[in-house]
Amino acid sequence: MRFPIRLAVVVLGILLLSVGVVWARGEQEEPDPVDPEEFPGYAEADVNWRALEGESINILVTPAHYFDKMRAVTPEFTRLTGIEVTFDVVPPREMRERAILDLSTGRGEYASHTGDPMFLPLFVANNWIEPLDQYLDDPELTDAGWFNVDDIIPLWRGHNTIDGQLYGMPVEGEATILIYRKDLYDELGLEVPETLEQLRENAEALHRYEPELSGLALRGFRGAGQNMYIWPSLFLAFGGEWFDDAGELAVDSPEGFAALEYYVDVLTSFAPEGVVNWNWPEIMEAFAGGTVAQFIDANSTASTIENPAMSEVAGKVGYARWPEGPGGRRVTSIWNWAMPINAALSESEKHATWLYLQWVASRETQMRSATYLEDEGDIYRTGVNRLSIWEDPEYQDALGFPDEYFDVVLGSIREDTDADWRPRIPEWPDLGEELAIAVQNALVGEDAERALRRAADRIRAEILVD
Amino acid sequence: MNPKRRQKNDGGASSSSIGNEESPKRRLSLAKGQQRFGFLMVTPSLVFLLVVFTFPLLALIGMSGFQMQLARPDADSWIGLANYVRMLSDARFWHSIRLTVIYTISTVVLQVAIGMLLAVALSANLAGKLRNLLRIVVLLPMITAPVVVGLVWRTLLLTQRYGLLDFVFIRLGFGTQPWLSDPSLALVSVIVIHTWQWTPFAFLVFLASLASVPEELYEAAMIDRASALQRFRYITVPILRPAIVIVIIIRVMVALRAFAAIFSATGGGPGTATEILNLFAYRTAFTAFNLGYGATLGTTLLVITTVTSFVFFRLRSADQQ
Repeated sequence: MRFPIRLAVVVLGILLLSVGVVWARGEQEEPDPVDPEEFPGYAEADVNWRALEGESINILVTPAHYFDKMRAVTPEFTRLTGIEVTFDVVPPREMRERAILDLSTGRGEYASHTGDPMFLPLFVANNWIEPLDQYLDDPELTDAGWFNVDDIIPLWRGHNTIDGQLYGMPVEGEATILIYRKDLYDELGLEVPETLEQLRENAEALHRYEPELSGLALRGFRGAGQNMYIWPSLFLAFGGEWFDDAGELAVDSPEGFAALEYYVDVLTSFAPEGVVNWNWPEIMEAFAGGTVAQFIDANSTASTIENPAMSEVAGKVGYARWPEGPGGRRVTSIWNWAMPINAALSESEKHATWLYLQWVASRETQMRSATYLEDEGDIYRTGVNRLSIWEDPEYQDALGFPDEYFDVVLGSIREDTDADWRPRIPEWPDLGEELAIAVQNALVGEDAERALRRAADRIRAEILVD
Repeated sequence: MNPKRRQKNDGGASSSSIGNEESPKRRLSLAKGQQRFGFLMVTPSLVFLLVVFTFPLLALIGMSGFQMQLARPDADSWIGLANYVRMLSDARFWHSIRLTVIYTISTVVLQVAIGMLLAVALSANLAGKLRNLLRIVVLLPMITAPVVVGLVWRTLLLTQRYGLLDFVFIRLGFGTQPWLSDPSLALVSVIVIHTWQWTPFAFLVFLASLASVPEELYEAAMIDRASALQRFRYITVPILRPAIVIVIIIRVMVALRAFAAIFSATGGGPGTATEILNLFAYRTAFTAFNLGYGATLGTTLLVITTVTSFVFFRLRSADQQ
């Protein structure tokens, strides 16, 4: 019999390889400490940044200038930690569908995504995402003093907290504020409105002023994140409560009817035609084009309307907190992009994802991504998640908005709402959609009381059944 | 091709070339082998169909028997026909059915009527070159994706004050019109959008049918002093009849399943003014995350589409006999 030389070569090869692998594993050293020269700001954190070197995570993000900046500074994270981060950039609705598909099938394809807080209770009810407190409290993974979670806007954290546990890390967000044409206010001698009634009077005066000018615009398009991003603030400002003492839905209350009637009245009287199909981009464009005199929407629209390249009204704009409603409250909307950790990941992937969340939500990275400019025409981020940055004169100077802007935004996100601005329940997407239909139906002519009653009845009968 | 027929033909061919030496048994096994080979050849496509079509369909029907709501995972359970019972008492469902019927009937009637008028008007009077050009032009709406059509109409044509249609209306002194914000007008708008996109299909089918009408028929009618209307009524319509039936069948099936153009133009709104059954099912399953009820609505739409086309095909075959 011939000597089986091929077999011998193969066996020898395998042996050599395994020896090599074992040897190489034995050679693996402790990771190098982070060089403070190379990573100022991160080296001072008592965190072993390189603990998960070689991991890779995949993140779903929506296309938006603030996430472009987040992605643009992320290679820094990879150099710091050795963790590869890849992004899939998908528009919001498709992103949400993809995230839910991934979470519900437990595939763990996406370590995290730029999530909408209104879905967090739904995810938690299905055990799809991890509570973040365990990582926040773990001294191995987090330097609590350096990260200083208390500096992250408390209402955003509160809104992302379910049963006392934080589930989504706020990385970017906004408040709704009144944005008005200061020049027109001055010409007409109008005062900044303190109450919703005064807002209505101002809208009327501005609307009459010029035929091409509309007095006020608010989101009219239907959806839990469109008209139901504005109407809840009115509802609460009128003194409405989502649930009564017995825990029953209470939107079809006198306060609810009054809030809806107010919304319908100001929009049908003073808003541009077609506002019923308008979401924030349409409103912002119209304001930037000078055809709308004031609107209540996200503070982030300032980046566009204060930019002379994109706006005809740059420099003529004033900002104010929401006017007070008959219920005695100013109520701003809560919005933040909340990044969760997918529960279907392996332990080391979860840890790697946490390192990323800690990094991206840290003061250091927030400041870097806020001031990162792709090219000359680029705009700064206005949605930083930290109070200390909002108060930082360096940041305020960089943005270059009028001084009052910062007081208005800070005042709004500190005082003008509560964590239950929208109820934190898993049924919210369904419930919000139902109310969104009622609000839009009222706007196109249905009696406000009837529309709201009908929606509330359907919600009680079909959605909140126990 | 029908395997049985092949088996017969091949049997005949072999017997004539080889003569009668071959035993019936061997011939049978040859046929069997061919049959097996035939099945082997179609297996990949059968498996593909099962995986991408039959399985999801069965899953959909199965899901409609479950209480399955992402918001309430603890309550997931088999509930039999309860979703259907709930559906029958759901006012929003009946509203969507009413809209589906209005939408389907009006779009199909408009497509057939306008398509036929255009075909009749243009078939006689067009020189060859112009006709070819026209064919290309009318194809354009059809080859555009419906979601794009919806967006183009929403932004370019129907935007208030700045849209093309309002431009004309304002110039003519009618003022701006709430094309997509008034509930009834929004329904009219989405019907017009669908008709605009798909009338060319009816037009092309009718144009092709008219080309086959012998000129002598019309000449004879003219000698008998038949008026233009009479010629249309007694010659054109009977000849176009099979084409009309097939256009109606195809267009009804498509209109029942319409989605993308409405979704991008109005999103089913304002309120629920343009929410046909298909959109209602989508919203229930993917916005409200009530998968069980969404599957129920989807199954109902499937049944409606199947029954409707079945009835139409029966009518057609009865018509042909």
